[in-house]
Amino acid sequence: MIFSKKKITTVCTVEQCVKCGTLTKRKFHDGDVLFKESSKCNSCDGFTRIEKIFGETVEQ
Amino acid sequence: MSDDSNPLMMLIWILPIILFVFYGQQIQLFVTSREIKKGIEKLNSFREESKNELIDYLQKNLKIQNDSLKKIDRFLDYFTIMPVDMDPNGIVDKVQHTVRSREDYTRDHVKAMSPGISDLELTKVQTLLEIASSLQMIYKIINHMFLTAKKQNNYPLILPLQMILPFIMEQAEAMKDAIPAFKSGQPVGDGIGPMVVGKMMLEHKKENIAFQTSLTKIDFEGRKLFLLKAEGPGSTVGRPADALEAIISENKLDAIIMIDAALKMEGEDSAITAQGFGAAIGGIGIERFQIEAIATSKKIPIFSIVVKQSIKEAITLMTKEIADTAEDVRGQVFEMIRENTTSGQSVLIIGVGNTAGVPQ
Repeated sequence: MIFSKKKITTVCTVEQCVKCGTLTKRKFHDGDVLFKESSKCNSCDGFTRIEKIFGETVEQ
Repeated sequence: MSDDSNPLMMLIWILPIILFVFYGQQIQLFVTSREIKKGIEKLNSFREESKNELIDYLQKNLKIQNDSLKKIDRFLDYFTIMPVDMDPNGIVDKVQHTVRSREDYTRDHVKAMSPGISDLELTKVQTLLEIASSLQMIYKIINHMFLTAKKQNNYPLILPLQMILPFIMEQAEAMKDAIPAFKSGQPVGDGIGPMVVGKMMLEHKKENIAFQTSLTKIDFEGRKLFLLKAEGPGSTVGRPADALEAIISENKLDAIIMIDAALKMEGEDSAITAQGFGAAIGGIGIERFQIEAIATSKKIPIFSIVVKQSIKEAITLMTKEIADTAEDVRGQVFEMIRENTTSGQSVLIIGVGNTAGVPQ
């Protein structure tokens, strides 16, 4: 369509610290699966676990 | 001379009438054909795209040689002949046998192409193969219906095709769009059931109760909970009915709660949850039949919680709205357990759906 906007979907990964509960959102990396312990928390010394993986669509 | 008696004007009026009386259907056939042709061209491009994506995946990730890739064409054309249903007695077992034989055949042959393939990769390839062969089948059937109508020059024959084509295109487009998510092992909308149950299973002992199906037993407020889902993070739906059969042979169940994605109606919002009774499980019907049969014979009530979504949302990358419902659904499950069972009873909770990207 001439007037339709192009839609771009970005895959996002949301991590949550098991200890302090802080949520962080980042781009999806290959190998990400739900509930995987992925990285160290920035706010405390706990580890983060992947809580959600989803697509966010934006119109351009 | 007025326009009424002008022979030229009369001809201008009469000619189209004659044209439409004798050639009306052919004109309609021509106009409709053009629209359908566009749809078929799109279906053909989806078919090609899905096949190329599959071949590309096999070459890049599994290093499969060109000789073996020739087999892919044969796989894509594989058909399944459903059992005769003139006598419906025992038809479910026959359908189950046919469907599982096909799955086993595909699995064995993909394994033969790449002997060192992991179970995770195997499920991904099987799903991609299923998408590619479904798109191939859709293209062939629609093209056949179109060409038959054209060959017979039969307008009424093309009408049903014109009516069903938008629905077919919606499904085909959804299947084509599902490929990237399955290739990357990302959760799809249908994975909301496994996502809810998978988190409840974390940090507890898991056992393989049936083929590609995982079970965990936990205690909750004096009740014994059996948590069941397909074994993730591979792309599979598992065999929940076989698992239920195994559980019931050794345990007494007082309730079954099923969590699944359900198709939303037009006008309904996506990612809304609803509760109800009966087995919430899709597919060809074999699993549902088995679950219902066991539940009926043992007089176990089945409760269900569904997350509404469109066909496209169900098989493509999970949307934020659907992912956000997981916590709420988990709360609803616990509430349902408290409301419908008492301390000392046992409840089976099944997270139904494709578990791609969702471990336990």
